[in-house]
Amino acid sequence: MEPTQAAAAPTHLLSVLVWLPAIAGIFILFLPRQTPGLLRAVALGVGLFEFGKSLQLLIGSDYARGFRFVENVEWIPSLGIRYHLGVDGLSLWLVVLTTFLTPLVLYVSFGSIKARQKEYIASMLLLQSAMIGAFVALDLFLFYVFWELMLVPMYLIIGVFGGPNRVYAAVKFFIYTFAGSIFMLVAIVYMVVTFKELDPSHRYSFDYLDLMRLGFPRWTELALFGAFAVSFAIKVPMFPLHTWLPDAHTEAPTGGSMILAAVMLKLGTYGFMRFAMPFFPGASHMVGPTIAGLACAGILYGAAVAWRQKDFKKLVAYSSVSHLGFVMLGIIARTPQATTGAVLQSINHGISTGALFLLVGVIYDRRHTRDLGEFGGLAKVMPMYATFFILVTMSSIGLPFTNGFVGEFLVITGTFTADLLRIPYHVERSSGPSFVGMGPLYASLAALGVLFGAIYMLEAVQKVFWGPINNPKNRKLKDLNERELIGLIPLAILILWIGLRPQDFTKSIEPDVQGWIDQYEQKRQAVTRPSAQRPWMLSESDIRPPPRRQPRADAR
Amino acid sequence: MKDLLLYLLPIVILFIGGFTLMLVDAFQKEEGGLAVPTAMLHFAAAAAALALWPYAGNAADLARAQVAFNGWLAFDRTTLFLDITIALGGGLATLLAGSYLNEHKLERGEYYTLITFASAGCMMLAGATDLIMVFIGLETLSLGVYALTGFRRTSARSQEGALKYFLLGSFAAALLLYGSALLYGMTGHTDLAGIRDALSRAVEMPQIAGQDGAAQFVAVQQTVRDRVTILAMVLIVAGLAFKVGAVPFHMWTPDAYEGAPTPATAYMAVTVKAAAFGAMLRVLIGVFGDTTGSASLAGGWPGLLVWLAVLSMLVGNLVALAQSNVKRMLAYSSIAHGGYILAAFVVAPRAEPMPGGGGSIGQGAAAAVLFYLLAYTVSNVGAFGALILAGRRGKEAVSYEDLAGLGKRHPAVALALSFFVLSLAGMPPTVGFFAKYNVIRSAVEAGYSWLALAVVINSAMGVYYYLRVMVKMYMHDPQPGAVRAEPMDSPATSLTLIAAAFMVLVLGMMPQRFYGYALEAVKLAAAPVAAAPADAPAAAAAEAGNPR
Repeated sequence: MEPTQAAAAPTHLLSVLVWLPAIAGIFILFLPRQTPGLLRAVALGVGLFEFGKSLQLLIGSDYARGFRFVENVEWIPSLGIRYHLGVDGLSLWLVVLTTFLTPLVLYVSFGSIKARQKEYIASMLLLQSAMIGAFVALDLFLFYVFWELMLVPMYLIIGVFGGPNRVYAAVKFFIYTFAGSIFMLVAIVYMVVTFKELDPSHRYSFDYLDLMRLGFPRWTELALFGAFAVSFAIKVPMFPLHTWLPDAHTEAPTGGSMILAAVMLKLGTYGFMRFAMPFFPGASHMVGPTIAGLACAGILYGAAVAWRQKDFKKLVAYSSVSHLGFVMLGIIARTPQATTGAVLQSINHGISTGALFLLVGVIYDRRHTRDLGEFGGLAKVMPMYATFFILVTMSSIGLPFTNGFVGEFLVITGTFTADLLRIPYHVERSSGPSFVGMGPLYASLAALGVLFGAIYMLEAVQKVFWGPINNPKNRKLKDLNERELIGLIPLAILILWIGLRPQDFTKSIEPDVQGWIDQYEQKRQAVTRPSAQRPWMLSESDIRPPPRRQPRADAR
Repeated sequence: MKDLLLYLLPIVILFIGGFTLMLVDAFQKEEGGLAVPTAMLHFAAAAAALALWPYAGNAADLARAQVAFNGWLAFDRTTLFLDITIALGGGLATLLAGSYLNEHKLERGEYYTLITFASAGCMMLAGATDLIMVFIGLETLSLGVYALTGFRRTSARSQEGALKYFLLGSFAAALLLYGSALLYGMTGHTDLAGIRDALSRAVEMPQIAGQDGAAQFVAVQQTVRDRVTILAMVLIVAGLAFKVGAVPFHMWTPDAYEGAPTPATAYMAVTVKAAAFGAMLRVLIGVFGDTTGSASLAGGWPGLLVWLAVLSMLVGNLVALAQSNVKRMLAYSSIAHGGYILAAFVVAPRAEPMPGGGGSIGQGAAAAVLFYLLAYTVSNVGAFGALILAGRRGKEAVSYEDLAGLGKRHPAVALALSFFVLSLAGMPPTVGFFAKYNVIRSAVEAGYSWLALAVVINSAMGVYYYLRVMVKMYMHDPQPGAVRAEPMDSPATSLTLIAAAFMVLVLGMMPQRFYGYALEAVKLAAAPVAAAPADAPAAAAAEAGNPR
């Protein structure tokens, strides 16, 4: 968290990552519609260039701590709004995931989106800009701008290119998310005004590191945390605020669903990690057990509802609700294992759910139905498709050697030891009650969710791929074409790579997760002041944990 | 005289221009062609106001202007900022009118004369520091706007709107006048500064001093004066709230907005609001801004405005949700925007300094009001302009259905309209978001967190109907057989849209400079007001030394 390894030379890498897609998107709007080849080439070129550029973020990020590639200049000085970007272990892989998936999604979509491709590409690129911006913004004003900016292109993607009920889904998506985020806006403004009151220099500041130093009395903290949490929980989406998601996913085009599930939902969990929890450790600790309970409820509920779905896409959508429950649980558990697992799992979910939506899109393009009852015995006519599908299913239900296993395993084992809900179990007269943490309870519930996941996914696989081909329409289905293969292969490689060598990824996540937990605990001790009536300013030592020995590569 | 002309340059330009237009119109053989000159007049007035900006920061100039104006009008940056907003809105709306009136066979020269005089009236109202001047400005602008509302002479709706506006408007003007008369009766002044000073003093001991019951007599007098002052304040607020269309004085708004020719709607939606809010700022803060003196009862107006603000937001948004006509929707949404502005207004009298300097909390709020007016002006003129561009005669774009499929038929207009509705909805990175942010910040700063919450909840409601515009444009195809709105080609209108869209984006992404102007504007203007509590005893002592 603390900028121990500040970037030596000024760099504009993040600015390039954030703005290039938007500029390209606007540029594409001015290109002639008659030359789809040119449009595609520009979009793909920009997408791949972005991906290449984003790989530079990985250089030197192993075992590194603190924000890197920081850019910090004034934007609107009189209101303390800065253009402050930075990336650390929490956001690094999410940025790379975004740049990795966007060209892939664009490439795959070229097959299915035929009309108004120009607008589609422009929306996608604008969306990419906004999402990367939200991941790397360290100024809350800037973050809020990107956060809201994200809605418009996604809204257009769902509403213009989606299925029959697309308008309803798009409007529901927009209003739901917008309504959630405006409470966050008021909370941000409240924090900024408080900072101005308390800071000796009496300036406005939206800066992440400045606002981090605010301490609030208990009820204020709860209210502010609530405002942040509602807006992020809608995005995640957490049970019971998830009702927009199945609609949005079902109606969105394949590419929109992929981006929505793979990246956009991660902004919710990321928001919890980056903002809601470190800003309000007291409140988030207090309601932590409730949130963990909701996460478990989401895991089980999502799985149960997914089991009963007839629509393939709705099944995947509800499985998202279930998987995101793991991520939330890992974040709220705050043990190094669980939280690292949560960050990794949010990448995994992006890859495997992205792949699932892509695969569902493949049969939808061929049959124009997603009704599970319509299929059967597809493994015979589409062997390659079946192979990929089963691999992705393995990843989704968390079988060993796939990425899903690593993430879920880390989350569950980490949650076991988490200090979540403590209940007294044995009262000694001399030393008072002893407490037992209820981490195992949550972990068991989550583990039950893994089981459920296996049930619904395998049942779906069974219905679609095995058995006789009863439906004559399925006899002549074509197997994967070149475009779909090119889209799926990188995803499959990543599924196995993360499954087999997770340390390649976790080594750049773990140090910052550790720092995040240390800082959280340090600040939590400092803000637990039952007598506080007014907000106050924390000292540097309240939020900076004592330095930890840096884990070394050779220590493993 | 020279001073007067110099410091009054924006208004002088408009008046001289208006008379010239009248002459030109009388002598030219064919109708039409006056739109561009009229717009140029407005832009010239804006340029003049911009050129006067440095003068308004100069103490010598301020003093000379005060002598020249003799306390009727204020020469300060608040006025200039409002002048710029009014002239900008008026100029853009006039550019829209040129092609619209031609297309709809309404082209008659008096439109431009009326609009020019109305703009001059708006500027007079925005700068008025005397209740008589407030009334004159109000009437000058109102007469023009009433006539513009009824400009579609063959349309019953237009006539209905104009008549409603005229009758209710006259009533509101009467309320304002009644309030002014009461204030004059209580204080013997019509100028705002004089009224403020008089009210900040206790009632003087009459000649019968020393006799039995004198103290009681004074107490009764004091009570009467306080009560009547409150009544006067309420009447003045009602009169001005009518002009900004705040609930419950909003009944005329939808009919007048719908009935008026669209460019006239765009015009009155922005300029009248800017002028009336300017006058409100000056009267309420200038006269009743002191919440500590003996007129403190009347200083309780923020409590009154809170309700106006909340009601305006709520009613405006709720009713806008139910509209099927885009013009009516924009009318109701303008009521809601009035509510957002009023929310910042509530905070504007707060004189306590911000921690660490940089003016008072109230100044931040007043700057938020000014900036909001500017943001609202460019977004709203743009939205109406896009509606104008989207329709031809007989194939106008008025309902949501008319907009269906516009994204395919005319992507450029659809894109522009999207920018404007997103700005009105308050989405970043448009100017509407920044304006709303300022309102929220002011409310939170003054401890009105609940009001900030009300603003954001209402914005969320507003998003629904603004999005419907985009839904229709991009996600629906026109009903088969329905009359399709056909975009007209008009370079002037397109240019206006481009200019407005440019401002919506640039002001949204780089608001620094213009927000800075707004802050400067209120800092200088509000200085005597902010100092009022401190000055009041001194002024009272000085008055006591030499009785009238």
